[in-house]
Amino acid sequence: MDSKYLNGILEERKDFIFCNSKDGGGKLKCEKDSVAGSVSQRACVYCGARVVLNPITDAFHIVHGPIGCASYTWDIRGSLSSGPEVYRNSFSTDLREQDVIFGGVKKLTAAIDEIASRFSPKVIFVYATCIVGVIGDDIETVCRMAEKKYGIRVIPVQSSGFAGNKSMGYKAACHALLRLMGDQKHSKVKGVNFLGDFNLAGEIWIIHQYLKTIGVNVISKITGDGRCDEIMKAPAASLNIVQCAGSMTYLAREMEEKYGIPFVKVSFFGLEDTRMSLLRIAEALGDPEAVKKARQLIFVEELKIQSRLDYYRKRLQGKKAAIYVGGGFKAISLIKQFADLGIRTVMVGTQTGRADEYEEIRNITEEGTVILDDTNPSELVKFIQEKGADILVGGVKERPLAYKLGIAFCDHNHERKHPLCGFEGAVNFAKEINLSMNSPVWKLVN
Amino acid sequence: MKSRNFVNLNVNPCKMCMPLGAVTAFKGIESSMVILHGSQGCSTYIRRHMAGHYNEPIDIASSSLNEEGTVYGGEKNLKKGLKNLIQAYRPKVIGVATTCLAETIGEDIRRITEEFAVQEKLEGIEIIPVSTPGYGATQFEGYYTALTEIVKKVAVDTEQNGKINIITGNISPGDVRNIKRMLNLLGVEYILLPDVSITLDAVYKSRGYTKIPEGGTRVEDIRKMAGAAATVEMGMTVMENMSPGKYLQDEYQVPLYRCPLPIGVKNTDTFIRLISDISGKPVPPQIQEERGRLLDGMIDSHKYNGEGRAVIYGEPELVYAVAGLCLENGIKPVLISSGSRNDSIQKLLESGPEYPEEKILIIDDTDFETIQEYAVKLKSNILIGNSDGKIITEKEGIPLVRIGFPIHDRVGGQRLVYTGYDGSLKLLDDITNTLLENKYEKYRQSMFERYYAGGRDNTVNQTELKSSLNQSTAEKTENHPCFSSCAAENARMHIPVAPACNISCNYCSRKYDCLNESRPGVTSQVLTPEEAAIKFVEVRKKLDNLKVVGIAGPGDALANFENTARSIQLIKEVDGEIIFCLSTNGLMLPYYADEILNLGVTHITVTINAVDPGIGEKIYREVNYMGRKITGVDAAKILIKNQLDGLKYMASKGVACKVNIVMIKGINDSHIGEVVKKVKECGAVMTNIMPLIPAPGSVFENMPLTNSKELNELRKKCEIDIKQMYHCKQCRADAIGVLGEDISAEFRTKGCGGCSMEVENNPGGTYTFAVASKTGMMIDEHFGHVEEFYIYKSSASGTRFLEKRSVAQYCGGEEECDDGETKLQRIIDTIGDCDAVLVLRIGYRPSKILQDKGIRVIQTCGEIEDGIKYAVKQLYIAKNRLGSAV
Repeated sequence: MDSKYLNGILEERKDFIFCNSKDGGGKLKCEKDSVAGSVSQRACVYCGARVVLNPITDAFHIVHGPIGCASYTWDIRGSLSSGPEVYRNSFSTDLREQDVIFGGVKKLTAAIDEIASRFSPKVIFVYATCIVGVIGDDIETVCRMAEKKYGIRVIPVQSSGFAGNKSMGYKAACHALLRLMGDQKHSKVKGVNFLGDFNLAGEIWIIHQYLKTIGVNVISKITGDGRCDEIMKAPAASLNIVQCAGSMTYLAREMEEKYGIPFVKVSFFGLEDTRMSLLRIAEALGDPEAVKKARQLIFVEELKIQSRLDYYRKRLQGKKAAIYVGGGFKAISLIKQFADLGIRTVMVGTQTGRADEYEEIRNITEEGTVILDDTNPSELVKFIQEKGADILVGGVKERPLAYKLGIAFCDHNHERKHPLCGFEGAVNFAKEINLSMNSPVWKLVN
Repeated sequence: MKSRNFVNLNVNPCKMCMPLGAVTAFKGIESSMVILHGSQGCSTYIRRHMAGHYNEPIDIASSSLNEEGTVYGGEKNLKKGLKNLIQAYRPKVIGVATTCLAETIGEDIRRITEEFAVQEKLEGIEIIPVSTPGYGATQFEGYYTALTEIVKKVAVDTEQNGKINIITGNISPGDVRNIKRMLNLLGVEYILLPDVSITLDAVYKSRGYTKIPEGGTRVEDIRKMAGAAATVEMGMTVMENMSPGKYLQDEYQVPLYRCPLPIGVKNTDTFIRLISDISGKPVPPQIQEERGRLLDGMIDSHKYNGEGRAVIYGEPELVYAVAGLCLENGIKPVLISSGSRNDSIQKLLESGPEYPEEKILIIDDTDFETIQEYAVKLKSNILIGNSDGKIITEKEGIPLVRIGFPIHDRVGGQRLVYTGYDGSLKLLDDITNTLLENKYEKYRQSMFERYYAGGRDNTVNQTELKSSLNQSTAEKTENHPCFSSCAAENARMHIPVAPACNISCNYCSRKYDCLNESRPGVTSQVLTPEEAAIKFVEVRKKLDNLKVVGIAGPGDALANFENTARSIQLIKEVDGEIIFCLSTNGLMLPYYADEILNLGVTHITVTINAVDPGIGEKIYREVNYMGRKITGVDAAKILIKNQLDGLKYMASKGVACKVNIVMIKGINDSHIGEVVKKVKECGAVMTNIMPLIPAPGSVFENMPLTNSKELNELRKKCEIDIKQMYHCKQCRADAIGVLGEDISAEFRTKGCGGCSMEVENNPGGTYTFAVASKTGMMIDEHFGHVEEFYIYKSSASGTRFLEKRSVAQYCGGEEECDDGETKLQRIIDTIGDCDAVLVLRIGYRPSKILQDKGIRVIQTCGEIEDGIKYAVKQLYIAKNRLGSAV
């Protein structure tokens, strides 16, 4: 294969980059540690655990470690709650030099005591950070003793930053959730758990409404607008619906094994995925009434947005997009959404995509599309410019880069304040893309 | 005074970690990059945090320490990281800052970096190691520590150059630009460290992007700092061991002068005077003018500022300077706080001349949980600090003036200019205006609540509201075929979404549905809201003159309010112009009144047959009110009261209300005149007196009929009081079309599966399919890679997902190839009952084996559902072909 496109790339990074060709050749390396000094966009194990668990609204989240880890993640997720607001506070043991030398166990125990005595917590999550792993604080024991002492759930999250990457953090969070659900037998209830939406802008409410309309009962939301009690009841559900596959597939598999709950993967990003997901859920429940209602819902909702979407399609036809997001699931959805708007994806990458997801990406993108795993600013700049992308989709770190390169940007992460899921979200997405791409400022600056 | 409410917890941190401060310092050096020695997260979090504030790409490398590096030492990672960083960025300066992790495992970065420089024969690249354990202190100390290390490593040229070293605090690029402007106006030569004015607030250049931004203090200049005439360091609260100025003084005898950040008159005076004294240059007229303007502005706003009770928080140096500005303007700082541990703020302020009689609460090493509590307790009305304090604004409603780092919920934090005389005036104005905005927003209400003794007089407002609402309703009324006989050409559609009823009337029977029967309460089907919306769309396609959607049962619109509301919402979203009309017995009207108004319903019909409970008792058998069944005169009492209350309220809100009255000979015919008068009083715009239709099966089935002569005479009589409807056709609950020409039969099947969404029926037979899918949505997997098959069943009634069946992967790579055959056999066992398997791709051998076993192989891709439709057709064709052959 012509590898000229890899000019200027660090030797160790070359295997993580792939230029799509349909002849089947080539393979993309992924699910590996980041290359030192490459300026990876990835965060750490703790980050993965934190983003998954933090939206549980009535839990106390204690970050056991020095202040930085707590400070940079305080209320950044933007998850919305329909009730409790406890989760929006940052609790940290704020370890100092003395604690590092003599161990932080005492402080952590006292911290849990303080919370237990001032509030009446039902559930406390204790996150381990890098140095907790190194100084060897036994947080398992601390949590177990606190559980006994207060008769509440105190759950350790093994998320020392260096022990893998963000995906390991997802797994640590899933373990914590399984512990919360416990081993108790539940009599089955007809209804579903919704896994892997974090309610960044009301998404879980929108989807909940859809499910209600088609007559599907939601037992628990994991974890957007989540409640501890609700999650503890999750084992009773008859089906798991998994949206964010990267973070939640592990939990779904474990729940299938442990509680016998089958799961289906869905996505509510984009019309095509929303449509299929609703039908898939109704079908998986084996409920012909729900299938019928889902069809009706789809018909009505699509009707409502058709003319608005057509307006944007006309304005966006023929543009080119670059995508760099956290997981493969989101990237795949985005490629399809762009295609629906007549936009070609010329570059796509993820922080923690898996091999099968990259295979899918390869299937749905065109020849010549650059696919990247765990990339960095240098590569982003190179491929955005070489491929002539008109817009970049990413998070806060990537935003200034897009703007400096003089192209449009779409935040598909914590910062956005409007929902991008479901039928309504498809319009919001198109609206945002249009707003940025067709802004008059580009005429002046370029 | 305790500095934190919680002893062992920091709740809502008012600080960040040392490495962030170090990065900020290095970002002010020309052509520099930083690598953080630690796990990947530290660099990413700091990049994200800074990018949110500066809106610039913030590239920070990481040695990406993993488990192995943590256990056996991270030297290899750091050296590799440095090498890659140099290759990708070609920097002239590299800051190597440690993190919690590197410090805890005891990494000797000095030795590692020195060794690296020798091994790689580095030339022209300064590598500067800085020890910044996250648990050691905060970003404030990290910033000055890094500056000191930079000076220690680079500033070695002692040749006297007459320049002034300026060490700036951690201020915005806009502020750095302003300080440089003042120095240029003063006409002095200086070396400013660090200079983030361009590096963290770059200009836009079309096609000119460089990975390391332009600007920053040049290494050649830093080298010369050892030979400068003096150092002016903005760092009153900086400990000596972290002070670059102190180092230069001790090591090279460069005289050190310390001053606060130039915020406020006095602090700026101190800075300007220092520069002027050291250089011997007079203060230029422009700066004097700016000072004068600041003084003028201070006088203008002093009375407003006198009401200010400020909570100030942030880095020690910043809160000290801002406190100065507040004190000299009469803004009382009720709390001065910092997340960093620092006792010099207290000492400095207490010894200052502005310190008020009433003690100021000053706390360090604190958190926002504590600050929030004090802000409320001390009745603060303004917060001054970074964006993180917004939690207090959100919870307590105290407004926030943003200054410092980070400002990530507003734009322009990097461009704020709050230093110098001009910047101080801007800060003061922002504070004053925030106080004013708060005051103007609240004073009308608060004055009223405090001093006005009588009740609020609302009459004026209500009249205004009513007339404005009426206008748009009046327009709509002209188009409503039931309300206006001039609108006879307009069509309306009744959507039968309300099956339940909450009262039992003696004249009513909803038992029969005869297609040809036309009277209220009859429908041939009940629709869900979604079905109703679909039907609406179908009807609208055929009837251009469709103007009104009404809900008239077959029960009562308000006894099924959820359905009623959802139907209206759905249809409104499809068509914003349509007029919504409800027909009700009025029992629940007061209860849902506001919700009905919010839905945008403009027309209501209430059926009121009596206003005397004694007569009502004869018409109504039973009322089911809020779950209670009531009979007799009590039932009639409740119903009539609610009907009239509801009517009055809706009319007062500008809704056009019509009242239907069923004329029942011998029961209420002589009472109707009274009813008409009463409902007119309550605000009805017209009444519709209708003849009783003695429905079979109803209590009144044998009551006498009313002829049209009698009816019209009564209508005429009542016309003196209120407009009468003469054109009523007593329609069905699913009537469609113009009045009197019901075409609902044409649409009978619409909205109940008759729409285009219905699946094409399976043309023949029942089939079971095994589908190779990774996601459960697409056929997207190679046969050999399948771990789970999705099993579907397709029959005449549609396609249904049955279950997932897991199988061991057939193709596990070469080394497992030997037992491939047995695995394949296992797969065949698992899906042996299926008619076909649907896969993305499949090898020749397995394909043949499957076909031999009678399982058809269909290679396809795309949505599972489409794939199955295709497969059914294939199987159907195959079967029929086979059949004909046999």
